[in-house]
Amino acid sequence: MRSGLRLGALVLGLLAPLVSGARAATADARFDEANDLARSGDYPKAISLYRELAASGDESASLYWNWAQAASSRGDQGEALWALLRARELDPGDRAVRRDVEAVRESLNLDPAEIAPEPLAAAARIARRFRLDVLGMALLVLSLAAHVLARLRPGSRWPVSLAWVAFSLGVLAAAAPIAGTLARPTGTVIRRGAPLLDAASPSAEPIGSLREGEVVPILEPGGSWLRIEDASGARGWAHVADVRRLDVPPDHEWPER
Amino acid sequence: MAGAAFVTGLALLPTVAGAASYSVRSEVDATRVGVEDQIQLTITMEGSGGPDTVALPALTNLRVVGGPYESTQVSIINGRMTQARSWTYALQPQAEGRAEVGTVTAGEETAPAIAIDVVAGSVRPPQPQRRRDPFGMDPFGRDPFEELLGRRREPRAEPKVLIEAAPSRRSLRVGEPLLLTYNLYTQVAVSDLNFKEAPQFAGFWTEELERPQTPPSGEAATREGEPYRRFPVLRKLLFPTRAGTLTIPAATFRIGLPARGFFDEGQVVERTTRPVTVTVEPLPAVPGFTGAVGRFQARATLDRETLPLGDAALLRLRVEGTGNLKWVDRPPPVEVAGAKVYPPQVKSDFDVTPQGIRGSRTWEFVVVPETTGTLEVPPLRFSYFDPKAEKVVAAETTPLSLRVEGGTVAAGAVAPPGAVAAGGGALPLRADLDPSVLAVPSLGGRTVAALAALVLLGHAGLWGAGLVRGAFRRVGGHTTPVRSVRAALRDIERAGRPGMTKEQAAALLDKGLHEAFGDLDDGDGSEKARAVRALLSEVHFVRYAPQLGDYSETLRDLAARAGAAVRRWA
Repeated sequence: MRSGLRLGALVLGLLAPLVSGARAATADARFDEANDLARSGDYPKAISLYRELAASGDESASLYWNWAQAASSRGDQGEALWALLRARELDPGDRAVRRDVEAVRESLNLDPAEIAPEPLAAAARIARRFRLDVLGMALLVLSLAAHVLARLRPGSRWPVSLAWVAFSLGVLAAAAPIAGTLARPTGTVIRRGAPLLDAASPSAEPIGSLREGEVVPILEPGGSWLRIEDASGARGWAHVADVRRLDVPPDHEWPER
Repeated sequence: MAGAAFVTGLALLPTVAGAASYSVRSEVDATRVGVEDQIQLTITMEGSGGPDTVALPALTNLRVVGGPYESTQVSIINGRMTQARSWTYALQPQAEGRAEVGTVTAGEETAPAIAIDVVAGSVRPPQPQRRRDPFGMDPFGRDPFEELLGRRREPRAEPKVLIEAAPSRRSLRVGEPLLLTYNLYTQVAVSDLNFKEAPQFAGFWTEELERPQTPPSGEAATREGEPYRRFPVLRKLLFPTRAGTLTIPAATFRIGLPARGFFDEGQVVERTTRPVTVTVEPLPAVPGFTGAVGRFQARATLDRETLPLGDAALLRLRVEGTGNLKWVDRPPPVEVAGAKVYPPQVKSDFDVTPQGIRGSRTWEFVVVPETTGTLEVPPLRFSYFDPKAEKVVAAETTPLSLRVEGGTVAAGAVAPPGAVAAGGGALPLRADLDPSVLAVPSLGGRTVAALAALVLLGHAGLWGAGLVRGAFRRVGGHTTPVRSVRAALRDIERAGRPGMTKEQAAALLDKGLHEAFGDLDDGDGSEKARAVRALLSEVHFVRYAPQLGDYSETLRDLAARAGAAVRRWA
């Protein structure tokens, strides 16, 4: 019995890389197909394929970069900005993405603060960019080890110093990713003139309109509706077809109004 | 008196003389007078285009004793302005019998001759005795004709003029039209009419209406048993914007009455309408209903049936009918699968009528296909409230098809409104998916927080363990502070290292043992005291002994034994 289990585990272990490799090859092929569609001008189908890839977990900054180019070419600047911001979330160090974020922001006549309503979210990006999460944890673990050593060797002074230095640096490094968790989730307005409603209902009264490309904090998700706060401080509900979240990949199914 | 009333009536009912733009008339204040009385002759020319002056007609058995006194009068009736110029003469009969004022001629227009019967003596009523002004004659407050004609004018009675606001209905729905007419009822001539306080229509949209085509003399009407002439002076179309009991407040008009003679300055009276209260019912709440009230038809058209990919089609949604369409801004949502639909341009053509706003509103959507094949424009629904049916109904368009051909659109061939090319020319697409696979997965803020908490707990545990250990040491007779023990061990460890003189090493050992155990009591015979004293004795021996050989081995041995003693007893 035990030998059978070991054999099964061995087979799975051998097959896993093969399955993973086949999946990656399929994702690459579909990515190429989407790129060809975008080059031929069939932006909706290209974006549909990009969406499928993203929803399947094959997210990357490159995928969202291409998505942004296709969306921009069809005139959806808000969606293009969303895709670029999503790419920046995945790879905060991508300079081209950062440059295009600024370009699209300016084309939408948005103030820099209008796409950065949560300063703590920037701390989270910095943490991801410089891997401060891993660095901080490594330093904290090192400090713990030095502390143990100091206890085991009371006569040695350096473990104590090492423990203190590593602990201090570790706390500093870990502060950025921890602070990032305090930021509210955000979303990008992808439709021009999207209404801000007084209730989460299709028959609700509009209390204002949202600016295309504006990044808004999400106060409360509610099914197909998001309770948000716009740059002027007005709070209301927006449909998920109008405001796309930045903290999660898009779903398989497009929400329709 | 009858003559005076007649003259007044004529002023309101001007003579219409063919196609001429002016007319002339001749009037006297009496056709039977005594030879001692005087007659007032008034020649009036109304309209424009007439001569500047009118010659005195031929007089038979009459002579001029006063005048001419010229006056100009402007009348505005039902929005039309008429101008009248008058010349007044005072005439004196010369003898009993027949007298006549001849035909008056003014350019192409003439007024017939007037026959006057002259009798003996005087037939005019006696002149009332006038109260003299104790401070002398007022040069402006008296009518020279009063002296001239030997009679006093009648004081002007309260003119019979009133204004009424008449609504077309008293009960209606939000968005339904209400026709409000301001009517002037008058028995006298009116020279001017304007608002003293413009009415406020809170709770209504308002639309101005053209004044109705009524005869210049108005219409006959009876108010409280008295005959009047009625003139509609203002009409407004009101659309309630909210439900409830709405009140159209009173409006005050200033009505000018013309002068009755050369020395009469005329009169201005004020009349106020009564407030009008209407009951407004709310509209039903139906999803997709945007507030249109009336009766409408909707029609959708495409400017072409076939187009190449990269070109744009124009989708027109035209809604026409009668109602409050003017205030319906939002078109029904238009979504075409496979095409981008841009926000529409709006074109309107409205005509305000007493029944409502009639006309059409057209929304023009630019449709840019994004894929080839046949695209379907689904039926578009325009919902409105039909007051006759008392329910919300929908005007639905027929579905349309748009065939998109080709498929080789070049990047940038389509220039949708508002599009900003990302890089221009060919799309700067990335070739590799390049999924972000990290050697060390991202931990995430919450994971980091949890792990940091665990590390802190570990530190706290170690620290706590040290405290507990210290407590146990004290219980077990270890009274030396941990810090001193550490310092002693450091000194003893250093003493065991090579590179020091024996004096330096021995001094460190001596210092370390004293740090760990302090000054031992000579009477202490415990194992610890004996061992420490033996160690100190050996250390002192090595320290002060002459340098006769290599003591490094001895010092290492002493250091090891001192360290063991410290760890065991300190």
